[in-house]
Amino acid sequence: MMEGGLARRWETGAAAPLARSMLLQQILNGLTAGSVYALIALGYTMIYGILGLINFAQGELYMAGAFATVLLLSFYQVNFFVAFLFGMGVAAVLGVLLERIAFRPLRGSHPLVPLISAIGASIFLQSLALLLFGPADRSFPVQFDFAALEIAGVSISSLQVAIFAAALLLMALLMLFVKYTKFGKAIMATALDQDTARLMGINVDRMISLTFLIGSALSGAAGIMMAIYYNTTYPRMGLLPGLKAFSAAVLGGVGNIPGAIVGGLILGVAENLGAGYLSSGYKDAVAFAILIVVLLVRPKGLLGGRSH
Amino acid sequence: MTEYLLHISIISGLYIILALSLNLIIGYCGQVSLGHAAFYGLGAYTSALTAIHWQLPFVLSLPLAAVLAALFGLGLGIPTLRLKDDYLAIVTLGFGVIVDLILLNLEITGGPDGLTRIPPPSLLGLDFRSKVWYSLLVAAAVLLIVGLLYRLVHSRHGRALKAIRDHEMTARVMGINTAAYKIAIFTLAAGLAGLAGSLYAHYITFINPESFGLHTSILILTMVVLGGMGSLLGSVVGAAVLTILPEMFRRFADYQDVAYGAMLIALLIWRPQGLLGVGSISQKFSLGRGKAKKEG
Repeated sequence: MMEGGLARRWETGAAAPLARSMLLQQILNGLTAGSVYALIALGYTMIYGILGLINFAQGELYMAGAFATVLLLSFYQVNFFVAFLFGMGVAAVLGVLLERIAFRPLRGSHPLVPLISAIGASIFLQSLALLLFGPADRSFPVQFDFAALEIAGVSISSLQVAIFAAALLLMALLMLFVKYTKFGKAIMATALDQDTARLMGINVDRMISLTFLIGSALSGAAGIMMAIYYNTTYPRMGLLPGLKAFSAAVLGGVGNIPGAIVGGLILGVAENLGAGYLSSGYKDAVAFAILIVVLLVRPKGLLGGRSH
Repeated sequence: MTEYLLHISIISGLYIILALSLNLIIGYCGQVSLGHAAFYGLGAYTSALTAIHWQLPFVLSLPLAAVLAALFGLGLGIPTLRLKDDYLAIVTLGFGVIVDLILLNLEITGGPDGLTRIPPPSLLGLDFRSKVWYSLLVAAAVLLIVGLLYRLVHSRHGRALKAIRDHEMTARVMGINTAAYKIAIFTLAAGLAGLAGSLYAHYITFINPESFGLHTSILILTMVVLGGMGSLLGSVVGAAVLTILPEMFRRFADYQDVAYGAMLIALLIWRPQGLLGVGSISQKFSLGRGKAKKEG
């Protein structure tokens, strides 16, 4: 179950036996991947909510987080959790820099302009990583002893449980932050109406930076989790998860925080069911098909997005 | 040496068609397509497959390639361009990934190895295996397309498109069907990219999915931004410059993508109108700077 970049492979997708345990297994695998997509989708949605901008480089922040953690762990004997926080930190700092350099000077221009700038940033970061770290896959330097539990014919690794739990924890923290802290409320106010927020004494620029900081840190965390799950880190690893997470954000409703979470989980499950029952060669196409259908049928998304 | 120069000019010509067609989308729909290379690839594969399996002559396989690419453009444009948000970039990016997956997985497309022995065009009894004749063919296509687009931009429809570009809401109030225009332009652009693909396949005679990936889409985008968004002449210059420069700096090939990424951002910040952008579009694209300064 390796996810190989643009999936250069020749799987013919042998028809799988229709068994209940297989269905459960696919749903479970899907929830694990989906919780990670949801974390990236949160970054898209928060940034879209506040700037009306699709941050194309979100997948590259995911990649940066994974690389920072993997490199730190391979060169220094540090605690895993320290390395995890370090990876999130690197992604966060990169996200804030990105906003400063590539987006802030262009604020207020035609929406096309920051969009192309984001594409430029994405390709810049991706090819920079390729130059610095080479195209080869890197395995995760720390091996975990995760037990595989067998319940009703379904095998659950405790790694999957850990990823799911960690993702849920981060989402819960984000929801609490947005709802109950002063900064969180200020972000929501800025997203609703920048001018009014400014009149209320909110430093809009700082809130935008903070949004990029949080969104990027979450994407970084997602990258680290996937680097552990698939045991691989490479420069183009962010491309497909970025695309899928965007589809998840649209599915849930762009600009809607709970929507991103629901969208991510549904997308992860749909993708794994598609791979299991249709053809694994086209697993990566499922997210895209969902995106097109949502845009055709319900562009607001399941939970309703905010238009900008 | 002459052979080499002719080769460069043929490739430049193909990129000029691609850049012009992407510029239609950017300059007149205010949207970005990141799947332009996928339309290019669809055209190349359609043309190659029909020529190999059905022995279809070039005069038929070329328009067929353009029409098929255009149909895919229509299919993508309808769900995305009706919406005002800039979803097109990500939908076309996804489309590019899917086309790549399909080309890699289907048996008929030859998977990662692609197709070989694509026949050169037979037209008017001329020998298109010669680079001289092929470069003339490409030049004729470029001139035809530039002429066509020039006429389009300066027609009644061109004025409608400019109105949409400059202020969509006002255009709609004036009774212009903005969604229909955008979808039509996107379809036309996809068709032109398919046409370029057909010309490429019959020139190079072997194709594989690598030539039609995201890298190529980004390259075309950089050409458009460098030349000037919304400027036809700019796209011609941008495409020529970015085809010739990498040939001169072969040693730095590894740094190409990093340079393109940095170039896109730098251009948008310091020269959003590109090398040759003029008139209202440059004012419009540079508008942001003045405003940002006021705020900052």
